[in-house]
Amino acid sequence: MTAHPAAIVVTSSTPLWYATRATGLVALVLLTISMALGLLSSVRYQRPGLPRFVTVGLHRNSALLAFAFTVLHIITTLADSYVPVRIQDAFIPFISAYRPLWLGLGAVSFDLMIALIGTSLLRARMSYRTWQAVHWAAYLCWPVAVVHGLGTGSDTRVRWVLLLTLACVSVIAALTGWRLAAGWPSRPVARLAGALAVVAALIAGGAWLAAGPLKPGWASRAGTPPALLKPAAGRALGPAAAARLTSPITQGRPPAPAGSGDPARHPHAAASGPAIAPRQGRAR
Amino acid sequence: MTVTGAPHAARDPGRPPRIPRLITGSAPVSLAEHLDRYGPPPLRADRPAAGRAVTGLIDEIDRAGLTGRGGAGFPAARKMRAVADAASRGGTFSSVGAVVIANGAESEPASWKDRLLLSRAPHLVLDGVALAAEAVGASRAYLCVHAGPVGPAAGPLRDAIASRDRAGLNRVPVQLAEIPGGYVTSQETALVGFLNGGPARPAFVPPRPAQRGAHRRPTLVQNVETLAHAALIARYGADWFRAAGTAAFPGTALMSVGGAVRRPGVYEAALGTTLASLLQRAGGPAEAPAAVLAGGYFGGWLPLPAAQHIPLSDEALRPAGASLGPGVLVLLPESSCGLAETARAVRYLASQSAGQCGPCSNGLPALAEAMEWIAYGRAGAADGLSWAQQLLRLVSGRGACHLPDGTASMAASALRVFGADLLRHLTRGPCQRVSRAGVLPVPRPPAGAS
Amino acid sequence: MSPRRRREPQRLQLNPIACEAHGVCIELLPELIAADPWGYPVIAPGPVPQQLLPLAQRAVNVCPTLALLLTRAG
Repeated sequence: MTAHPAAIVVTSSTPLWYATRATGLVALVLLTISMALGLLSSVRYQRPGLPRFVTVGLHRNSALLAFAFTVLHIITTLADSYVPVRIQDAFIPFISAYRPLWLGLGAVSFDLMIALIGTSLLRARMSYRTWQAVHWAAYLCWPVAVVHGLGTGSDTRVRWVLLLTLACVSVIAALTGWRLAAGWPSRPVARLAGALAVVAALIAGGAWLAAGPLKPGWASRAGTPPALLKPAAGRALGPAAAARLTSPITQGRPPAPAGSGDPARHPHAAASGPAIAPRQGRAR
Repeated sequence: MTVTGAPHAARDPGRPPRIPRLITGSAPVSLAEHLDRYGPPPLRADRPAAGRAVTGLIDEIDRAGLTGRGGAGFPAARKMRAVADAASRGGTFSSVGAVVIANGAESEPASWKDRLLLSRAPHLVLDGVALAAEAVGASRAYLCVHAGPVGPAAGPLRDAIASRDRAGLNRVPVQLAEIPGGYVTSQETALVGFLNGGPARPAFVPPRPAQRGAHRRPTLVQNVETLAHAALIARYGADWFRAAGTAAFPGTALMSVGGAVRRPGVYEAALGTTLASLLQRAGGPAEAPAAVLAGGYFGGWLPLPAAQHIPLSDEALRPAGASLGPGVLVLLPESSCGLAETARAVRYLASQSAGQCGPCSNGLPALAEAMEWIAYGRAGAADGLSWAQQLLRLVSGRGACHLPDGTASMAASALRVFGADLLRHLTRGPCQRVSRAGVLPVPRPPAGAS
Repeated sequence: MSPRRRREPQRLQLNPIACEAHGVCIELLPELIAADPWGYPVIAPGPVPQQLLPLAQRAVNVCPTLALLLTRAG
């Protein structure tokens, strides 16, 4: 069995890698839910089945849950020794070795989340105006998290993940539009600026998505360290590592017969760029 | 003439004035004339440190029973004591010294006594400021007036303050502050908010200005007329002050008498004077009187001639559904419609809402609409009346300031006193008198007002 | 709330400037708080009955603008 010119992964880290992606997605969904409930709260949305105290209470609880899943997401990323991410990369943006810009956005979003939740827990000890000023950061925290997910995540081209992300964006864009139409904030200039910002963000985001993560070669353009894109020069895999590489767990499919290690004939060797993992979702 | 810290009553202030006590001539009194007549304000010879209250004057004012002349009628000594206590308690984080605010921002449209007092006898007011500052341990003072044509001329007031500076009479610096126009801007927390650099809008209490006000210091907010009375009490004593007025409400007050009287103007009268005698001093009614609005736009209507013998003091006026307020009386002739006048006043007051509290910014325009419907609407169902009465209950006491309650009580008194008119309006439609020119003054909002 | 405070009579007070008619308190404490025609809370006067104190405290905690207050009754 020859060595695959592919991303090498230690088997034990795979559950962590799945966990990182899963917790990241769940955190995004929960953050979206929290933001949506916050928007519904600001337009005073009320139905017999959704009283105000539920909207307000769920908004708070889902935010806390989103934070918990974000912390899990960070922990699993750090524990996964495959990716060269250190703990400070989670707090200080743009200093990581792995996709510095896109991972850094995650750090930005995480920092904002800490500020949002911290000030909300300590609300009684500060002036309402201070709390409110910080809370506006939510309108930055959520889109940054989305872009982080699309830019860093390895599942962006997976259809259901993409659809889920787009659904989250649609919900928030629609509710933000509703909030603006309902008359908050009260100054028409501010509302017009907000509407323009939403439209501009959607257009810019869509264009970036189409030209960036959805196009082949994103992994290297995004700043994945080259070591993860191809194996180190001259290093051959030992038989044990190669076997692990082709095991059903890592491949997600029945093991390839011996001798069929030609990457060009690999069914998964299609999509994203020069040196890619054979298994979809492992693209770097 | 340089006078510095004359010992208490060392210079004989002369014979105690009879009524009128505050405004005695038709020309402004200069500093020299003022000192000639009254002598210097009896401040202490040893200058007490800021933050250290001097309670002698407060006790005297307490004995004199002086109540605020700005409309609320709160006992002046009690307010001063609260500020003095807060200032002397001090503490590590509170600044040294209290603040005195002389409230000359006369926002009641039918009142002009403060403007007159400030132009004719500014030094009585400024004496009061200096004495109050010493009494509560203040380290600075403000004289607040409305800016522009609404308020008194600022130039002469600045000159008066400067001349006192030169004579060494301003132990604490006194600054003239020009407040934007508007009915609620002269409320005490609104003044404090404006002096702290924010908008002139009422704030939620606690903390009261006496605890924490301008520049986070204990602040005494007192009407300019109250301070002028205090300046005279300091010289002539509590017994002299009590020689006029009633036991519960002693002293004199400046009354702005307007409407359908022959000689509208400001008259100083002892509290307890009957309404009829004050109207007589103002030349009597110019035409057959129907009612009088007592206490300004937060006061109430009194029917005439039924209420003519009512004494002018809160103890008699409040049970009758009115109040003394800042001493405002507007006479309504029979040729005017009280309901239409009230509707106009309520619409004006609704426009003056600071827009901070839902019940006020929603309820007052609704009340104005209901009152207009009653005054100008078609005959028919009494639903408009019951909606108005519901609104009166809904807005009272639910704002941060007294704009909703004051408006509601004035409107309620109109529905009560003009009951016969009300019945006629509801059954036969508005009377012809609604089209007569407004007797109640309703200012047009200045450009740029909220 | 500390045990000592729980025994003192409390009353509900509203900061009308902070209140933005979210209406959460009206839902959580209908025994003491009703809505006016514009959605703002009308609070029943007087002290809060002892058995309603925990619910009143919850309403105070949940107010999105911290406009509802529990203060010591006079």
